[in-house]
Amino acid sequence: MDAFVIGSGTCLPDLVVTNEELAPRLGLQPEQIFKSSGIRSRRWVDGKATTSSLAAAALRRALDDAAVSAHDIDFLIVGTMTPDRFIPGSAPAIQHALGLREVPALDIRAACCNGLYALQLARALIQSNIANQVAICLAEVQSPFLDLSPQSATLSMLFGDGAAALIVSGRDPTVREGAITSPLEIVDVMIATNGQYVDDLGIRCPGTEFGNSRSHGPDDFPSDYLPRMNGQSVILQASRRMVSACQTVLERNELSAKDVRWLVPHQANANLLAQVARSLGLSHAGGEVISVLEELGNTSSASMGIAFDVLRQSKRIQPGDYVLLPAFGAGFTWGAALCRASETRP
Amino acid sequence: MALPQSINDFLSESANNAGVPPPANGDDLFKTGVLDSFALVDFVAVLETECHVKIPDSDVVPGNFQTLQAIENYVQSHQG
Repeated sequence: MDAFVIGSGTCLPDLVVTNEELAPRLGLQPEQIFKSSGIRSRRWVDGKATTSSLAAAALRRALDDAAVSAHDIDFLIVGTMTPDRFIPGSAPAIQHALGLREVPALDIRAACCNGLYALQLARALIQSNIANQVAICLAEVQSPFLDLSPQSATLSMLFGDGAAALIVSGRDPTVREGAITSPLEIVDVMIATNGQYVDDLGIRCPGTEFGNSRSHGPDDFPSDYLPRMNGQSVILQASRRMVSACQTVLERNELSAKDVRWLVPHQANANLLAQVARSLGLSHAGGEVISVLEELGNTSSASMGIAFDVLRQSKRIQPGDYVLLPAFGAGFTWGAALCRASETRP
Repeated sequence: MALPQSINDFLSESANNAGVPPPANGDDLFKTGVLDSFALVDFVAVLETECHVKIPDSDVVPGNFQTLQAIENYVQSHQG
């Protein structure tokens, strides 16, 4: 059975934090942030919202969009690096908030590639007849973890909070009346990992390698409790790996860049997105990059889902369009998904 | 072995874009601003095409391309 994305939704916190507000705290000029990242503002929670509350709101919108009842969901996948609690993950809280049946609900921790892993898992669950309607939530509340001092400026200027949700279904892809866009078949997903870069992007503590607040406390080892990034390594590897993942997925489906109408990448950095599009030759081939970076910053797990929702809600996807979704994240892990809009017009 | 003129042209253009002088022998291409991470990705693509070498992802680190001499050495040791 084929798997289709039939609904999507987004939830963003209300608080808009502009470069003008953030830059002085980080010892930067607002234009420096924009020039090096393409970001002008980001959304941050005001202290009340949790990852699961954002995700639950996004999922409600996705269910409405798909015209699917919460009762019909039979598997929940939640991708986040910032769960409500250390244990358990955020999936049970979302299951309860939505009133889903007592279905399997799990968190995945593949960082900015969570969207790809979730699509691959959802497709596999449907193809193996384990589930027929899978809910995916991709959510982050990152702002409370950021160090808002000049020493962490290059990292802290990037990140925002937000959530997206997708409904993946194995049902007949006939387009229902009122749908905003055709169902998008998940044609292929390619994912790879190379753990030699595990220390180049992430947060070390708390954990069993370096320790926790008792054995390796934040007062003595503050940097181990803050996001860390080897920017040069991330850019070099991401630029190459995202392109090669796209090429792999296209080649094994006997397609090329000219067949891609929409590129919906993980929203990491505008310069990186431009580099990937250029390397793929996408603009020459008539493809368009969907970016929400300028207004929302890098929302990590959620970013690709939010951009995907923005594209779907724009009603610009035409039947037969191919959508390519590359991502790269901590680990390093990277890959690309390929979707295709069903031919029947809504 | 001398690098093809197209490689020197790329580096000169990159230097020009960055507002720094063209690279001379011994210059650190990153410290002088001729290359940054994004420019290096493009540079590696040009090297692969112009010098007929396949550069694996794991080799795309600044240390392999720090100076003109380092680039020459890398290309020489990877050409078939």
